[in-house]
Amino acid sequence: MKKQFLLMGSLLLSTAMAYGAAFQLNLQGVRQLAQGGTGTAVPWDASTIFYNPGGLSALKHVNAYGSVQFLSANTRYVETPSGSYSADSKAKTYTPFNFYVGGPVRYKSKLSLGLGVYTPFGTGVKWDDNWRGRYVIQDIQLQSVFFQPTASYRFNDVISVGAGFVIATGNVKIQKAIPLQSGGQDGMAELKGNAMGYGYNIGVHLRANDNIQFGISYRSGVKMKVKRGYANFTVPSSLSSSFPYTAFKSDINLPQVVSAGIGVKVTERLGIQADANFVGWSSYDSLIFDYETNTASLTDTRSPRRYKNTLIVRLGANYLIGQKWTVMLGAAYDPSPVRDGFLSPDLPDNDHFMTTGGFVFKPNKKLAIMGVLEYVFTPVREGSLNEAQFSGRYQTKIINPGIGLNYEF
Amino acid sequence: MKKLYILGLMAFVASCKPNIEPEKPTKGDGVDFSSYVAVGNSLTAGYADGSLYRSGQENSYPAMLAEQFKTVGGGVFRQPLLPGEYGYPSAKLVLGSHQGLCDTAASLAPITYTGALDTVGSSINIFNSAGPFNNMGVPGIRCIDFVIPGYGFLNPYARRMYVSPTGSRPVDEIMVAKPTFFTLWIGSNDVLGYATSGGEGPTAPGGTNKISDVDQFNAAYDSVLSNLRRKGAQGVLLNIPDVTSIPFCTTIPAKGLMLSKNDANLLNNAYNSLNGYIRFNEGANYFIIEDSSVPTKFRHIQDGEYILLSTPQDSIKCKGWGTKKPIPGKYVLTGNEVTKIKTATAAFNNIIYLMARREGIAMVDMNSYLKTLQTGITFNGANFNANFVSGGAFSLDGVHLTPRGYALVANQILMAINNKYKSTIPLVDVNKYKGIQFP
Repeated sequence: MKKQFLLMGSLLLSTAMAYGAAFQLNLQGVRQLAQGGTGTAVPWDASTIFYNPGGLSALKHVNAYGSVQFLSANTRYVETPSGSYSADSKAKTYTPFNFYVGGPVRYKSKLSLGLGVYTPFGTGVKWDDNWRGRYVIQDIQLQSVFFQPTASYRFNDVISVGAGFVIATGNVKIQKAIPLQSGGQDGMAELKGNAMGYGYNIGVHLRANDNIQFGISYRSGVKMKVKRGYANFTVPSSLSSSFPYTAFKSDINLPQVVSAGIGVKVTERLGIQADANFVGWSSYDSLIFDYETNTASLTDTRSPRRYKNTLIVRLGANYLIGQKWTVMLGAAYDPSPVRDGFLSPDLPDNDHFMTTGGFVFKPNKKLAIMGVLEYVFTPVREGSLNEAQFSGRYQTKIINPGIGLNYEF
Repeated sequence: MKKLYILGLMAFVASCKPNIEPEKPTKGDGVDFSSYVAVGNSLTAGYADGSLYRSGQENSYPAMLAEQFKTVGGGVFRQPLLPGEYGYPSAKLVLGSHQGLCDTAASLAPITYTGALDTVGSSINIFNSAGPFNNMGVPGIRCIDFVIPGYGFLNPYARRMYVSPTGSRPVDEIMVAKPTFFTLWIGSNDVLGYATSGGEGPTAPGGTNKISDVDQFNAAYDSVLSNLRRKGAQGVLLNIPDVTSIPFCTTIPAKGLMLSKNDANLLNNAYNSLNGYIRFNEGANYFIIEDSSVPTKFRHIQDGEYILLSTPQDSIKCKGWGTKKPIPGKYVLTGNEVTKIKTATAAFNNIIYLMARREGIAMVDMNSYLKTLQTGITFNGANFNANFVSGGAFSLDGVHLTPRGYALVANQILMAINNKYKSTIPLVDVNKYKGIQFP
C-alpha cells in the first residue's frame, strides 16, 4: 500500500507571469509624448517610424533620433477588507529608450528607408520578499526591444504610405514564494526566459493642405514566444524531487494597435493634435506555463487574464516661441484592460490619466534637443485577484522625465 | 521667490508618492474586548501534532484574536504557556524520514520528536505565578465535564492552570479572569473520543470515549454560556466539526488496498470457502475489517466507512491487516458508528445554534467552514485543503490544526465579530504563521 499522505497536491503556480495590464509603454518619441502621446498624424522626426511609418517619406532629410526616459513608478498596496496592512513597491527607475534613423534615399526621392529600435512593452514591480502577497509575486521584470526596418513611399504631396517589419525580442524574470516551508522558511520559484516574436507596423499619412494632416496606422499583434525558459525551485530538501530544475515554454500575445490621428495648424505658431488608439488587449486571454518536466506537484498551469480591448484618447498642442524654442502640452486617457477579479499585484493596473509637457530647443536648423515630463495619475483601485484570493486597494503614481536628440542631415 | 520654488518642488515630489493609508480599526458597538477569555478544548489551547507545546500555544487562535483585539482596546491575554517545545505530557510529532518494518525505502512520515525534553516540571500548577488565564482551552475537556467539581484533578492540563483544581468546576474557572468578551468552542470531545477509538467507546475504561448524552450536553452548555453571559459579556459561539471529514478519518481510503493479479488470486483462494463473500481483484480493493455484527465477524469495508489514521502501518504492510486479517474494530468506523457520530454532531450543533439565537450572539458555523476545506480554501495565494500533510491546514495528528489552520479559524471568528458589532477589526495574516514544516 502506498502512503497516501505523501501525495502532494498540485501547487498554485499559475499566477506566475505578470505581463500586467497596461504594460504598453507609449513612450516612443519625446515630442509625441510631450503632446499627450499624439503622433499618428504629424511626422515630427524619425520617430514617426513607430507612430506612423507612412510619415517617414514626409521627412525632407535623413533624421537620426535618440531618446531615453527615466520612468519611476510607485505603488502602494493596502489590504482589504480589513486593511491594517500596507506595503510599498520598491523604488526603481526604468529607462525605456528609442533610436530611429531614416529619411529619403536621395534628396527629394519618393522612397524613404529607416530603422527603428524601441521598447514598446515593459513592466516591472518588486515587492518586499516577505510581504503578504509573496505567494502571488515578489518580483517581476519584463523588457522588450523591437527592431523595425521600415520603407515609406510618397505617392504625391498628399498621400504617403509606409510599412515596417518588426523583430521583437524580450526577456522575463519572475520570482515568487511557494508555501512549502522548512524551519519556517518559504520555498521559492524563479522563472527566467528570453522571448522572440515577429510583427509589422503599417501606416498611411495624408497632408490635406498646409494646415491639416491625418494619419492612420496599424501595429500588428506580436506573439512573444518563450521557447526555453528556466524554472528554478527552492523547496525543502525532502520535496526537491517534486520540484526539479526544468525548462518551460510560454507564449504572450502582445496586442494589435489601430491608431488614427489628426493634426491641425491653428496659427503659424500653434498646432494641435488628437489621436485615438484601439488596443486589442483581448489577445491576452490567459497565461500558460508548460513545464518540460512535470511531477505530481509541478503541473502545467493556465492562468486566466481575460484582458479587455481598450480605446485610448490623446490630445496635444505645441507652441513656437521665437525661432529656437517650442513648448508642448498634452493629456491622455488610457483605460485599464484589467477586469475586476483579475487585479494582481504583479501589475495592479488602473485607468491612466496622463498629463505631459515638454520643450524643443533648436540651437541650429539641424539639431533639436528635446525634453519631456510625464505625470501619470491612476485613481485608487480596489479589487482582487480571485484565483489567489488576494484583494486590496492599490494606488500608483508614475513620474517620467525624458530627454532626446534629433539630427537632420 | 526662491522659497516658492522649493515649496513647489517639494509638493511635486510628494505628489509622486502614493498616499493611501490603511483604515483605522474600529471596535464597533456594545462590545468590550478589555478582558477576552477563550473557553474551549485542545483546539482552543493550541494543541497540534499530537501534543501541546509552547509555540503551538503561542499560535493558538485565541492568541491571534487577542493580538487583533489590541487594535480596538483589547487587554492583556495570559496563556498557561509550557516551558518548551517537546510536548506535554508526551512528545509531539514532526515530519521525518521513516522506514517501516516492511518498507524497502524510507519515506516522509510523521515521527516522534526527538529533541530535548524541555517540558519537565509542567505538571506544577502555575496559576499563582502566571494566572489568571485568558486562554481557558483544556485539551480533552468535554462539554459535559464543565459542571464536574474537581475536574482539575482528572485532567493534567486543567490541573496546572486552574485556581482551585481539586475543588472547582471548569464552569467556575472560566470566570476567574472576569471576561468582558468570550469565544466558546466546546463539544468536539463529546463525540471525538468515540470516533478516534473506532466507536469502541462504551467498553473502554473511564467512559470518556462514549458519545455524551444530549440532555447532559444541553444542560452543561447552558450552564457555561449562562455563566459567561451573567455580567453581560458579549461573545461568539463556535459549533463542532464533523469528525468524519478530518484527515484522521479520511486519509486511508476504504478502497485503498492495491493488489497485483497474483496477490488477488492468492487471497481469493484463501477465502475460497466463503463462496465469494470476500473477493479481491487486480488494482484497488476494499480492505477487510472486523465487524462483530456479521456472522463471519469480518467483511469488506464499504464507502462511507473509515479506517483511522491511528491504524499501525506496519501491521497493514507486514502482518496482512486488511487482507489476511481484518483490521480491528478500534481502527475502523463502520456505517452504524458513522451514523451515531453524525447524529450526535447534528444534535450538539443544534443546541449550540439555539443557544446563540436565545442569547442573540454570533455563531460561527465551523462545521460548514471546515467542510469547505475539503474542496479547498485559498488565502493570499496559499492553498489549503483537508488532505493530510499536503493540505497545510491540519497538523500531523490529523485532528488538530496547524498555526495557519488556526489562523483561518481566527478569521472566521473575526468576520463574525465584525459583522455582528459593526466593527472593523483587521483579519489575521494567515501566512504569517507556520504551516506544515518539511525536513
